[in-house]
This record gives sequence, structure tokens and C-alpha cells, in this order.
Amino acid sequence: MSTEIADRRATGTAQTVNGRAVRRFTADVSAVGEPALWGFGGALALGIILIAGFLGLIFVNGVTTFWPKPIAVVETVDGRMLAGVPTRTGVYRPGERIVEAMTPEQRAFLEENQGFSERTLFRTANFDLTGDDFTWVSDYQKTEVTFPADFFYFERREWGPFVGRIAGIVIDDVAIPAEAVDMALLRREQREARGRFEQIRRIERRDIGAVNYRIEQERLSRRRAALRHGADSPQAEAAAAAAATRIAQLEEEFRSHQDRIAAIRAIDRENRIVLETIDGRQKETELSQIVRFFAANDLSFTDKAGIYVARWHEFLTTEPREANMEGGVLPAIFGTVMMTMIMVVVVAPFGVITALYLREYAKQGRIVSAVRISVNNLAGVPSIVYGVFGLGFFAYTMGVTIDQLFFPERLPSPTFGTGGILWASLTLALLTVPVVIVASEEALAAVPRSMREGSLACGASKWQTIRYVVLPKALPGIMTGLILAMARGAGEVAPLMLVGVVKLAPALPFDQFFPFIHLERSFMHLGFHIFDVGFQSRNSEAGKPMVFVTTLLLLTLIVAMNSTAIIIRNRLKRRYATGHF
Amino acid sequence: MATTPETAGNEGDRSAARRAARAHVRDKRTRLSVVFGERIAQWSITIGGLMVIIAVVGIMVFLVRVAVPLFAPGEITRTLTHSLPAQEVAWVNADEWQTTAIRVSADGRASAFHVPTGRLLFTSELDFDGLRATAVAGTLQRNQVIFGFEDGTVRFGEVGFEVTTTAERNAPSAREALHDRDFYFDRRIFSKVLTGDYRTIRPFAEFQDPVAISEHAIVAIDYRASGSVERPRFSFITVDAVGIARVSVTTVQRNLMTGQETLRTTTSELPELPQLPEGTVVTAVLLSAGGDRAIIATGAGMIYRYDVRDANQPVLAEQRRVFADGVAVTALNFLNGEQALVVGSDRGDVDVFFRLLREGATTTDGRELVRARVHEPQGAAIVEITPSQRDKSLVTRDADGGVWIRHSTADRVLFQFERSGTARADAVTMMFPRADGALLVADDGTADVWSFEPRHSAATLRTLFGRVWYEGYDAPTWAWQSTAATDDFEPKYSLVPLIFGTLKATVYAMLFAVPIALMGAIYTSEFVHRSVRATVKPVMEMMESLPTVVLGFLAALVLAPFVEEWIAAVLLAFFALPVGLMLGAFLWQMLPAQLALRLDGVPKFALMFVTIGLAAAFAYRVGPIFELVLFDGDFKAWVNGDFGTGTPFMFLILIPLSYLAVSFVFYRQVGHVFRDRMRSLDRPAAGRLDFVRYIAFFGAALVLAYAVASFLTLLGFDPRGGVIDTYAQRNALVVGFVMGFAIIPNIYTLAEDALNSVPAHLRAGSLACGATPWQTAMWVILPTAASGVFSAVMIGMGRAVGETMIVVMATGNTPILDWNIFAGLRTLSANIAVELPEAVKDGTNYRVLFLCALTLFIMTFVINTFAELIRQRFRKRAFQL
Repeated sequence: MSTEIADRRATGTAQTVNGRAVRRFTADVSAVGEPALWGFGGALALGIILIAGFLGLIFVNGVTTFWPKPIAVVETVDGRMLAGVPTRTGVYRPGERIVEAMTPEQRAFLEENQGFSERTLFRTANFDLTGDDFTWVSDYQKTEVTFPADFFYFERREWGPFVGRIAGIVIDDVAIPAEAVDMALLRREQREARGRFEQIRRIERRDIGAVNYRIEQERLSRRRAALRHGADSPQAEAAAAAAATRIAQLEEEFRSHQDRIAAIRAIDRENRIVLETIDGRQKETELSQIVRFFAANDLSFTDKAGIYVARWHEFLTTEPREANMEGGVLPAIFGTVMMTMIMVVVVAPFGVITALYLREYAKQGRIVSAVRISVNNLAGVPSIVYGVFGLGFFAYTMGVTIDQLFFPERLPSPTFGTGGILWASLTLALLTVPVVIVASEEALAAVPRSMREGSLACGASKWQTIRYVVLPKALPGIMTGLILAMARGAGEVAPLMLVGVVKLAPALPFDQFFPFIHLERSFMHLGFHIFDVGFQSRNSEAGKPMVFVTTLLLLTLIVAMNSTAIIIRNRLKRRYATGHF
Repeated sequence: MATTPETAGNEGDRSAARRAARAHVRDKRTRLSVVFGERIAQWSITIGGLMVIIAVVGIMVFLVRVAVPLFAPGEITRTLTHSLPAQEVAWVNADEWQTTAIRVSADGRASAFHVPTGRLLFTSELDFDGLRATAVAGTLQRNQVIFGFEDGTVRFGEVGFEVTTTAERNAPSAREALHDRDFYFDRRIFSKVLTGDYRTIRPFAEFQDPVAISEHAIVAIDYRASGSVERPRFSFITVDAVGIARVSVTTVQRNLMTGQETLRTTTSELPELPQLPEGTVVTAVLLSAGGDRAIIATGAGMIYRYDVRDANQPVLAEQRRVFADGVAVTALNFLNGEQALVVGSDRGDVDVFFRLLREGATTTDGRELVRARVHEPQGAAIVEITPSQRDKSLVTRDADGGVWIRHSTADRVLFQFERSGTARADAVTMMFPRADGALLVADDGTADVWSFEPRHSAATLRTLFGRVWYEGYDAPTWAWQSTAATDDFEPKYSLVPLIFGTLKATVYAMLFAVPIALMGAIYTSEFVHRSVRATVKPVMEMMESLPTVVLGFLAALVLAPFVEEWIAAVLLAFFALPVGLMLGAFLWQMLPAQLALRLDGVPKFALMFVTIGLAAAFAYRVGPIFELVLFDGDFKAWVNGDFGTGTPFMFLILIPLSYLAVSFVFYRQVGHVFRDRMRSLDRPAAGRLDFVRYIAFFGAALVLAYAVASFLTLLGFDPRGGVIDTYAQRNALVVGFVMGFAIIPNIYTLAEDALNSVPAHLRAGSLACGATPWQTAMWVILPTAASGVFSAVMIGMGRAVGETMIVVMATGNTPILDWNIFAGLRTLSANIAVELPEAVKDGTNYRVLFLCALTLFIMTFVINTFAELIRQRFRKRAFQL
């Protein structure tokens, strides 16, 4: 019976088939539980398929997003022409009313496919002219699809992309008709225009930003003096007078910067490009408004690869534009990394000390049990509750107190009294501390007893043993815990929505002004970026590619951190498993 | 503490050097610094370790501290009684800072006084042509009033305050200090504000020329102002001494050239009040803001409701007695928003009526006044009801001098005041505009000022957890709607729909996650090769720290539209997958024993993948046909209840149950025969027989399920309206699926750990006794690890309860009480995430959201503590084995 199977499995030998043996193999199949096994295995397989599908979906979508796609020109049955980038296709069942309005051929086509039709979503772009980003075209509507070489894909600073032809350019106020456009010249001019745009942005950000910052400082110093000495005191009046003269100087400086910008803008206005949609509508726009353009159907593989790399570069190194739907995510990367770093700085000592307490100092008993229950509860409390606590306690209680003590001149506008990167980091530190505690505990437990005993036998005190023997040995394990905590913290969004994450931060939490790191500032975050673009933007379809790429980036970050942690852990295991001290 | 180890280390080095230098006089005492460092380390680490407890307790205490003031009673901050010169009072108004009040008498004297000190500021005479006002009314804001006179005329007036800001340097010097904040100059009050400037309040009372309405004295009047600033429209209702009610609308034409204003009044008489017995008095009249509804109450206890939407053809829409026979209606008013009608009786009742559409109503417009709330009676006749301008609170005054501040939604009496002086003197009561105080001015000159801090009057245990009959609702219900665009909105703070939503999302997620995670964990731990486990486990662990925002995004933007389009295929997949796997298993059983043994392991596991793929493909291809056959080709319309019966869905639900029933009956009746027969066959033959049995069972189950479903339909049972109903794109099915996906790794890892930590000798012993791996897993391993597995499920549940991003993005956030799997929901966590960023600090909504967080905290705390206790027990047991 089933014993035989078990035996044979254990020994792995196959008996030669003889009459008796075959009889012995007769089985009550229910003892093997094959259907249940398939159910169990199927569950595991389904889980794996779901995970693989999920990761694959994100990977494929994320990786292919930036690859330049061709522009299709579609002629429909009713004679309409449209040009757009095919983004995705799907099978659907046209509604009854649509079927009624069809021609017999179309209906026959539909019948053939059991009432289903495939349709393609074209990104027709030109939102400023058509008011629509996307158009669905069903297969039965298409008559002809071509890929003409003179269609360009323009990425613009405003209004999203443009799909169409070049109807002419204006260089230094001299118009050049479409036939005479020299592509090399256009590219050069566009590059220059782009340079000008960056220049303007630099002036705005760096120079004007600095002036504004200093004006604000003057205003604050005036108010500080008034608060400290009283509004009518001579000190306050002196401070006010001094501030007024300096502000006047700064405003002068401000105007000079503005003049510089105006000069560059004047050049910008002389260099324009005339774009033409497929139905002949024209739009003239400044060359500096074009971020990138290419003839989508006339690209070699190298061109495509170049665009692909350039787009990734733009994504990773620039700021977002168009309500976060285009451009880059640099501030979000920066915010995520900085927040995680501050979090680690806070969480490391806290977690390690607790682990030391549990492993080295505490006596087993009720208190340890309570600590363990607390650790597990900290791990199990919903992250949003941490957000609520962070907002109520850190921002509204601690922050408001700090404001009253140290920044009275800025009141009533809050400095620390509202969400900011420091509070977000502290909140996440609280959230991730169980991860560190558990990992550190494991690491401490893995340090062989003999090492401790050796150290103590040499006359070292308990703390000296921990400090010079146990901790160094446990360090890789603790690092594992920290990396895992970082991975957890980097992906958490819900609490951040309450304690300082914003969809578009006016300034990075790090800049050239003292004290350089501004812990009170709100910040951007990759996870929140996904939420914002995917969920709160004007057109979630247009934002989708961006979301996929951001998701890919965030996942890569987290998977990389997790893998590092796992690798370290495995190495550690091997080390402790093989060689004892 | 950070420097201590350094110090200790340096000391250690130095002492070592010294020891080397004079080894002969070895000092055996421990260095003081080492002892000291040891102490510090011990203390700081102990304190640091206990910080975790402090953190957990601290979070809870903090949440409680923010949430508890919700239930704190309001606080009376000031009670003042002033004795002003006696003056009849017809109308009173006060500014929103409780600085000044102005009273107007029936014969045209207006006097202003300072509220904190009771000092009379000035008195002015208005020209009423020597007539006395016999009826007075005003708007909710109390600044626009109408006086009806004994000669049948009315006058519009304004009794209000002009508020400006005066810079400190422009303040007049010849001023008279009233108290530390305010001073008085030339009919103006100057109040110092935080910025150092002055808020200047000028009380005034102005009346326009009379408009003739009736030939008899006006006995009751009400007044509403609407329209725009350029074209104001005043509507008012009057009842004269002979009982004729009139609704009038006055529009103001402003001549742009001359700036002159012309009043044009159109008046229509309401139909005569029927059965008005001799001597009945009209005690109160009310008009709605649009001037389209008029309500008249009589001393006989009747309420007459007129439909005046067509001013030329007013209709008596409804008449009803609101209290018992012989009980008079003595006061009548709308609450802020005019949805709720508050009626006071001479017995002291204060009841609230809603005008609701009712089936079988005998009224002309199909609506009826429905008694929605019965507030605590006051003991003496209610003589005055004045609503708050801010919220749903009101002040009711009785004939015995009791002045009660109530909150209607919360059905509670906030404060009970007793007026000073003679209770009988006529008086006017009002609530201060910010609903933070009440003022009573009596004819004999007594003025009572009660200032209070109502705190969170709208939140009580009853409004948070009980059924409340809200304005505009058909019946008492649980509802959550904390904010709206309008001022007169009634906030609804019931946590019940949110807790329900949380449970609903959790239940559906667990239904999906628990079977997959546990079965997967058992398979991993007991049936696959170690190498498979070594790859699957870390991947699952990694999935634990997957950002849920990513899952939420996929759920909302990829999965939800997909499921909506392919709902039939998805439903079919729920059956195709298990059935496909079973088919695979029975086919596998038909393999010759040796081949089966050789392919056991990875090839079999791979075959399961193939089976799932085939089943999914089957569902995809057959889904439309399935939809056509069972749901007439349109599942969403079917679910909506547009056509068909509940049979198809019940049929599907009943298939598994029927299968169990069929197999139970079979084994009960002929089980031993079948088993004997099986044992006499070799494996392929037994497999074939089993396969036939399975197919037969399945067929029988189908037939049985359909029969039972049809029978249930005959009994009138329809699942639509229950667990399935109208389809919404973002629904519990999608959330359950994705949130289940999110918690699978949690449950899987913990359960696998628990199964894996069952001592190997138990497994070996069982196998050695001749049990198959399957029997070992089910009857030896699983029972041993049961508590650990259970705790894994609990921890997974804790995570599902608190999950935020997925539900925020994929549920539609509709706070409804509905088990419908195709409808949205709103969980506690999503509610916090959506509303807290907008909530005003320390406001009612803010504190209620903290209460949500506390509820969530307690829910997860209970679940996690329970899980942890079970796990600690499990660990102890596992060690003992």
C-alpha cells in the first residue's frame, strides 16, 4: 500500500516489475492525496505566477516606455485621418448601438470574430489643439495604416507632446519654409534654444532664488528685532532701517537678473518653429519650448537607442514638468534617499540598543515578554496610524513648540509646526524600528557564546565585551536589518501623505544656504509620485508611462536593497555555520 | 552615552600601557572609569530597551489624548447679568465677537450696549410714525428684519454692525475705556486685536418706509432674504388679525444712474386656513429661504404647510396635528439650512420634523412632515426657538425661564441656563453668531449673557456609533460625510460604515489570501525540493516589503478596468482553476506508478503551472460564452437586477457545496464498496476509476446545484441586493484580490516558518510508520504547527486591516454599508489618508479622525497581541517536542 510508495521514495530504488510487486502497488489513492497535493501546489504556483506576472508587467512596461515608438497615420472608414503613437491594444465587444450604425462589411467582420473587435489606443497628442490626448480606433474602422517618414514627435515643455509635421521654422526672425529646412541647422538651433532655457532656469533658481532668500532673511531679522526688543524700541527701528536699505539693494539686484532673463527671452522669441497637425492645423511655438524632437518613423537603431538613453537621463536628472506627468523625478529620488538616510540615522541606535537590551541585559520574564509584544505591535500597527501620530505629535506638538521657542519671527506661518522631512523620517523610524530590532537580535544571537566567554575570561567587562567583541561581530547582521528597514521605509507612502510629502516641492531640502540641510521642508517622494501621477492627475492614461517608469525605479531600489540584505545574511550564515571562533 | 565607550576604550588602552610598565605591582581593582562606563551602558541600554514599550504606550496614549476631548462636555466660560434701563424688546442682535448688542423696541427705540460690561452706549429713536410693531421677524443672520405694525403695514430694516479695522495710529484719542480691551467713541466700539490694530464695530438700526400689506394688524410674520447683492429679493409671510395669511415678494430695482432704489412688492393671499375654529390663534409662521414654502402653526396644535412655489397659486399642501389633542404649538423655527423644522409645544416638547417624500402620502406634493427627532422636553411651554447660524444647535426658552442650548443632530442638551430676573417678562433670546454663547434681553432691562465653549457638540457616542436620522435621509442610518461645500451642511460622523468597510475589505482579502498562502506554505515546506524552497522563500520575503502604492496603482489603473471588461472570464477562472487542477491530479493518478515517481518533484510542479495556464486560457476563451449562457451576455446588467433570476449565480456558488454533499452521500452509502474495489486494482486502473468517480461527482454536483438554485429562486430568494449587486469599477473584488496579493507573502512566510520549525523527528517518525507524505503533512505537521499557522493568519489579517494605499486607490472610497462584492467601500485607514490632510487642527473632524486611528490601533493591537501570545505558546511547545 502507501507504505511501499513512501519506502520507495525514501530509498529511491525501483523494483523490477513482477506480478507480486504490481499487486503490492495497488493503492488507496486517497492516501496519497493527489488532488489535494495539486490544490496545494497549484496555490503555490498561482502565487508564483502572480508575483512573476506582477514583476514582469512592471518591468516590461517600465523598460519599454522610453523606447521611441513609431507614429502611425491611420485612415478610417469615414475618411478621417489621424496620426498617433499606438500605445496599447485590447479586445472588446462593441455595444449594440455601434453595431447598428455599422456597414454590412464591418458587421460581417465582427461576426467572424464572435462579436469582438480589437482596438488600438493611439496617443494623438496635440492636447492644446484637440483637447484630447488619446483616441481609440477599432480594427473595423481602419482602412489604411502608414508610417510616413516626415512625421515628428515633439516633446514640449507645455501641453504634452505634439505629433505632426514641421511646417517651417523662424531663425533670428527670418522665416524658412518647410522645404528649405535644414535638419542639422534645426537641431543646432534647438540645442541652443534648450541651452537658453536652462540658462534662464539657472538664473531663476540660483540667482533670483538667492536674492529672494536674502530678502526673506532681512524681513525676518527685522521682525526678530521687533519681537526681542519691542516694536517701538530703538533697536527695532535701527534693524528696520538697516533691513530696508539692504532690501532696496537686493531688489536692485533682482531687477538686474530679470533684465538678463528678458534679454534671453527676446532671443527666444526670435527662434520659432511652426508645427502642423495631420489635419493641417498649424501652431507656432518658440524653439525653446521643444525639449526633444525626432522623426519617429525614420530612426535607425542607434538613433532610437540614443533617444532611449537621453530620455532615461532626463528622467533621472531633471525636475518634473506638466504636473509631474513628464520630465524627471530627481527631486523625488532626492527626497526619498534623504528621508531614508535620516531615518536610518535615527533608527539604528534605537533598534540596536533595544536588541542589546533583549539579548544581553534583560532577564527573561514579564518585562521581556512585554517588550516583545510591543515590538510585534510596533510591527503590526498600520502605517497610517504612524502617520496620524507623526502629524499630531511630531508636527503639531513638538514642531509647534520648536516654532514658538526658536522661530517666533516666522509665526504664524509654521516652520517645524507642519509636515517636513524630519518629521517624516522620525515617523518612518518608528515604523521600521521593529525590523532593525529583530534583525539585530538575530545577529547578536548568532555571535558564538565562546567569543563572549573568551572576552569575559580575559577580564573585559560586560560592556567592553559587547563594544569590542559582540557588536563588531554582529555588525553585518545589524547592517542587514538596517538595509531591510530602509527598503521598508523607502516604499511606505501612507504615513508620508500626512507628515510632509507634497506633489511638487518648491525647494529641495538641501541647498546652498545655511544650514544647507533644511529639515523642516516638505519634500517629494517616489512612492507618492506614483500615487499622485497615477491617481490624481488630469489624465491617468497620459500619466501611466511615467508611473510605470517611476514604479520600476522604486522597485529596483527596493529589490536592490533587499537583495543586498539577503546576500549579506546568507554570507553571514555560511560564515557562522562553517567556522567557529 | 555616545562618548562613554570611547572614554572607556581609551582608559582601557592606557591602563594596559601602565600595567606593562609596572607589572610587578599589579592593581587588581577595576578602574573607576570602567565601572562607571558599565553602569552608564547598563542604564542607558535598559532604558533604551524599555523605550519600545514606551513608544507603543505613548502612541496609544497620544491618540487617546487627542480623541478623548471629543466627549468632553462643553464649558461655560462666562455668565453675566446686566441691568439695563428697562425697554421693551422686539429684536436683538449681537456681533460675532460678543462685543456689542443692539436691541430694538416695538415703538422704535434702538439702544446699543456693551456685552462684557453691560454699559449702555447710546439710544436712538427710529421713526415708526407713532405705531407699534405687533410682529417681528428676521433672517438667520439677524441683521435683516421686518416689523409688522398694528395698521397692517410692514417695514424692512437692518439691525446690524459695521465692522472695520482701524490702524493703531488712527484710533481716536478722546476715547472712553470700557474695559481692558475695548473702548468707546462716537457710537463705535474699538477692540484691540492681536496685531495691535483696532477692530471697530459700529452698531446701527435703520428702517425703511412702510409697505402696506393688510388692513388689519399683523399678528405673525416671517422673513427671508435671497437673490444677489445687485438684485436682492425679500420674501415674507404675514398673518393679520383676521387670520388671512399672505406671502409677499419684494424685489429691489436699483437705478444705475441715480442710485435710487425702488421697492416692488407683489403679494398673494394664501388659501384660507380650513377648520380654523373661533378663537384659535396663529402662534407662529415660517417661510423658507426661496419663499416657496410657508408653514403656519396654531394654538390648536395644528401645522399648515403651504406650497408657494407658484406665488399666484399657493396650495395648502399638508395639515396635521403634531402633538396630542389640546397641546398647542407655541414656537416654530427652522434649523440652519431649513431642512429641519423645530416645533415647540406648550407642554415643553421640542421635536424636529423633516419634510420627506413618503409613499402613500396624502399631501398634494407627496411629501410629509415626519417626526424625526424627539428632543428632551423642557417642562414648561416653549416660548422661543432660535437656531444657531453656524451649526445644528439651537436655543430654546421656556415660560419658566429655562434657557437650554441644544444640539439637534447629536440630540443632546449642551447647557441648561436659568434666566435671571422675572421669568415672566417678555424677552428675546439669541445665539451669538459663532454659536459660542447666548444672549437674552428682557423687557425689564435684564440682560443675561452666557458664553460657552461647546467643544465638539456634534460628536457623541450615539452619533459616532449609533443610528442617527440626518436631514434629508429617509430613515435613521449610519453615515459618514464629514465635509461639504455648503455652510448649512450637517456633518455625519458615524464610524460604523468605516469599520464595516475595513472588515469587508479584510474579509474579501483574507478569502483570497489565506487559502493560497497556507496551501502554498504547506506545499513549500512539505512537498517540494529544498532548492525550490530556497528560491521561493526569499522572493516571498522580498514581496513583503513591496510598496503597496505600486499595488494600488496596478489595482486601480490596470486590474480594475481589466476585471470590469472581463468580469465573466474572471468569475469563470475562479471555477476553472480549481477544477483544472483537480483534473490534472486525476489524470496524474492514472500514470503508471513508476513514471509518476520519476516525474514527482519539479516536473510535476511545472505541470501545475501548465495546468493553471491552460485553465486561465480556458476561462479567457470560454468566458464570453459562459456569460452568454448564464447571464444573457451581459453580466453587469444582470447583476444590476435588470433581468433574469438569481439562479445562475446561486448555481455557481452551490457547485462546491453540492460536490461536497454528493461525495459525502456517496462515501456514506457505498464508500466501503468503492474503496475495496479501488484496492483491488493497480494504480493506473484505480486512477481511471477515480477519474470516472470525479467526473460523475462533478456532473451530479452540477445537476444538484442547479436544482437547488432553481428551488431557491422559486422560494423567492435572489442574491442580488446582497453579496452581489450593481457593479462599480473600483470594487471589493479588485481590492480583495490585490490586498490579498499584498498579504500573501506575510502569511506565507510566517506559516512556512511555523511548519518548518516542526521538529524533523516527528516527520521522520510518521513516514517511518508508513504514512504517506500527504498524511504526514495533514495529520502530524499541520496540527503541531497549527498555532503558529494561526498566528500567521492573524498577523496577515492585522496587515489587511491597516492597509492604506491599496484601498485609497482601488476602492472608490464610498462609505457605504453593503456587502456587495462589486461595490466600493471606505476603510478607516483610507478615510484618515483622504481626510486628515484637510482637517483643521483640533476641530471635530480632526479628533474624529484620531478616533479612527485609535480604533484601527486597538483593532490591530488586539489582533497582534493575540497572535504574539499564540506564537509564544507555539514556540514553547515546539521546543518541548
